[in-house]
Amino acid sequence: MSTIIETNEAKKPILFDEFFELGQEDTESPFLIESSRKWGANLTLKSSILAAFFLILSFVISFFPVHLPISHLLLIAVYFLAGVPALIEAIEDLSLFDINIDILMTLAAFSSVLIGSGMEGGLLLVLFSLSGSMEDAVSSKAKSAISSLHKLSPTKATVIEDDGTHIERSIKDIAVGTIILVKASQVVPLDGIVIGGISSVNLVHLTGESLPLSKTVGDEVPAGARNLEGALAVQVMKIMADSTLAKIIELVTEAQEAKPKLQRFFDKFSGKYAVSIIALSGFFAFTFPYLFNIPFLGYEGSLYRALSFLIAASPCALIIAIPIAYLSAVSICAKKGILIKGGVTLDAIANCKILALDKTGTLTTGQLEVISVVALDGKSVVDEAIAIAYALEKNAVHPIAIAITSYAQNLGILASEIQNFYEIPGQGLSATLPNKALCFIGRPQFIATKLESAKAKELLEQTATFMQKGELVACLTIDQTPYIFSFQDNLRPDMKNAIDELKTKQHLKIVMLTGDHEQSAKRIADSLGIDNYFADLTPENKLDLVTKLSENQGLAMVGDGVNDAPALARASVGICMGKVGSTTAVDAADVVLLHDNIEYLNWLFQKSHQTKKVVKQNLIIALSAIFIASIPALGGYIPLWVAVVMHEGGTVLVGLNALRLLRK
Amino acid sequence: MEKNLPKHFDGKEAIKHVTENYAKGIIASSEIHGAEIPGAIFSAADAAKESSIAFLIIWACLTAINVKMPQILIVLASFSLAWIFWKSGRAAFLGWSRLKRLHRIAAQEKFEIEHNRTQERDELTALYEAKGFQGKLLTDVIDVLMSDGDLLLRVMLEEELGLSLEVHEHPLKQAFGAFLGASLSLLCCALCYFFFPQIGPVIASFSIVGLASFISAKYEQNDLIHAIVWNLGLLSVSFGFAYFLIQYLKT
Repeated sequence: MSTIIETNEAKKPILFDEFFELGQEDTESPFLIESSRKWGANLTLKSSILAAFFLILSFVISFFPVHLPISHLLLIAVYFLAGVPALIEAIEDLSLFDINIDILMTLAAFSSVLIGSGMEGGLLLVLFSLSGSMEDAVSSKAKSAISSLHKLSPTKATVIEDDGTHIERSIKDIAVGTIILVKASQVVPLDGIVIGGISSVNLVHLTGESLPLSKTVGDEVPAGARNLEGALAVQVMKIMADSTLAKIIELVTEAQEAKPKLQRFFDKFSGKYAVSIIALSGFFAFTFPYLFNIPFLGYEGSLYRALSFLIAASPCALIIAIPIAYLSAVSICAKKGILIKGGVTLDAIANCKILALDKTGTLTTGQLEVISVVALDGKSVVDEAIAIAYALEKNAVHPIAIAITSYAQNLGILASEIQNFYEIPGQGLSATLPNKALCFIGRPQFIATKLESAKAKELLEQTATFMQKGELVACLTIDQTPYIFSFQDNLRPDMKNAIDELKTKQHLKIVMLTGDHEQSAKRIADSLGIDNYFADLTPENKLDLVTKLSENQGLAMVGDGVNDAPALARASVGICMGKVGSTTAVDAADVVLLHDNIEYLNWLFQKSHQTKKVVKQNLIIALSAIFIASIPALGGYIPLWVAVVMHEGGTVLVGLNALRLLRK
Repeated sequence: MEKNLPKHFDGKEAIKHVTENYAKGIIASSEIHGAEIPGAIFSAADAAKESSIAFLIIWACLTAINVKMPQILIVLASFSLAWIFWKSGRAAFLGWSRLKRLHRIAAQEKFEIEHNRTQERDELTALYEAKGFQGKLLTDVIDVLMSDGDLLLRVMLEEELGLSLEVHEHPLKQAFGAFLGASLSLLCCALCYFFFPQIGPVIASFSIVGLASFISAKYEQNDLIHAIVWNLGLLSVSFGFAYFLIQYLKT
């Protein structure tokens, strides 16, 4: 009995949410033994590949008349593996009166058996099945976007009961007005107002603002914010369904669904094509005996000719014309470290006229750097101040603490000796020096409270000057001597060249979007030569702006944080930084720059234009092949095998044309 | 409010520890009367039994109507390959049907938990009242369970619906088991027929059915003698029925 329990605890816990969000896949089924779930991975692709293998074997064996039954046996296996799923889908579509290209393909493939061309039908089914498995792989990636957002959101909260006891409850059961406890390092589960405690919270995932904010009694805290230091008692103001994080999840879902795709046009076209071909085949079969005085049955009959027409007109080349071109382009992009989710994205990139870039983490590295340390009196030695600041901040994880630590280390300054160190949550740090002098480091407003009023006023005026230049500041005071540390976010190397190339070679309009304040945004935009920028944006603002800008022309959005996820999903093309990007942003985007290689954007736009050209050529070749093969077959001028060879010739041509895209 | 929790509770509140262990206990005790047999082994044993019976009956019929050995071999070989495919495919299909049904039930229960929380809470309260929980302890147990969506769904599936999690094999693994069982069984029967045409299939079939029954019964912790004798008895009746009926009909 104890062994059973120990074994259960050692295993990965069952996560139902993940199972349902990923579409009840076998690979996540809680009913299956964990080691057995891997049997269900990529089943569509595996069965398509097996069907292709059987088809090749069947084709080769068919050249030896003695072994013809074996060839037929293998062909049956092809129809079983690739045909049964297609048949089920076709019957389901038919029951909903939705006549589409899938039905045409299935009908053509199965009808081919009736006129002794089972091999061609098998080929249709295998190609059809392979393209379907590619679609499956792309859609499963899209599903994981919402899943990762849910992981960010806590599912329970610690409720403080009236008698002071703490109990964990599902956030679904928490009503407005309930008081919850948010401990250090926990994520705030629901929007609320602080009614007890003081701390700093990090909103980087929600707003892109990298500097933590101080929260004290009376301040609002949004769901999704991470509490960094002390414990907070929060009175819930909104239920789960109305919380900030739930709203972001909703925005991403809506944006993904509303996304315009070339696929939609192709689906519409293919539906009409299917109906026309099926209707024409039926029309020819029943009218030819009366119009041309030919029999209904037999090799010269109208039924045979109509079926030949149906098979020859089945869009074999048309079906691979687009995917194979995109697949080649996607492969070469992957070799360059650019992951593209689905080939149609490339078409959308080629149509983009505007490139919107997030600031923090995209144009900049997102890491702060000390740019100056000044004494307020202009006389005191700053090296001593740096050594004391280093001693105070060396064990903290705050972005400012990291910047000061790294600055001191680069200068080779050692940390001073300090005593009585303590932290004032949400405000700063304090310690005593060996000479009994008191020192404090933290926000200007906090340091001002430790100074005489004249010095405090002067300090606040000076820090305001730094902030107007778009810099962040922290202050240190040693026994009434204040120092100002200023910081800024660094630009990525070669960013200026990359932006210039995109403007001059791709003729793109560059726009910068950021949740940061105006001054900081202006400084970055000016240094990169970006004329259009928007600052102080919330995720909703970004989404609205992206929607507005992409109304009349294609817009590609480059971002990295959770706050960018709705905009990335809504943009014509969402491009995300893979290394620094949050999982949610990576999932919501269409393109992921795996090595944050933003300098390849110019190459990517070039490749997308080339792909679009190849796709157009392929469509022309495919449609011509169908036309050339189907009309003579219908007239009985060429035997079926010639029609099939011409038809398949088109398929080979589009394949070779697409392979050109593999060149770097 | 923070307090030093005893090691025994593994860093959890006592009430949570009790609740989780209680759920685990119920699962463990429900399996005392027979651990569920791994799907792949069951499929293999079942396919082996059925394949050898089918082989034996076809052989008996063909022999009774005086078909010669080479023709019998051709018929049996063709039948065997088709039968292996059928048994493997059928095992996979049945496995997927069961899995889909379980997924549908879980989805339904998840919907209930999310949309009818009050009723689900009442159900849970009734369930735990019946197990002897009362007063504040009962409320605390229900609160802990209701606070965690994953845990709640698991408890409802296992206790309310009596389903077992993480016990089934993937349908394809079951199909693979059936494939191995049927293939090995038919291969043994064919070899025995080839080397001992008069009595080989009978010996092979009886041995295979006996062995497969033994393996199934061993895994299911059933009575071995009962299982083996009943299965061999069924085989004898089926074989005898086909053998004597064809003798009678051909006269």
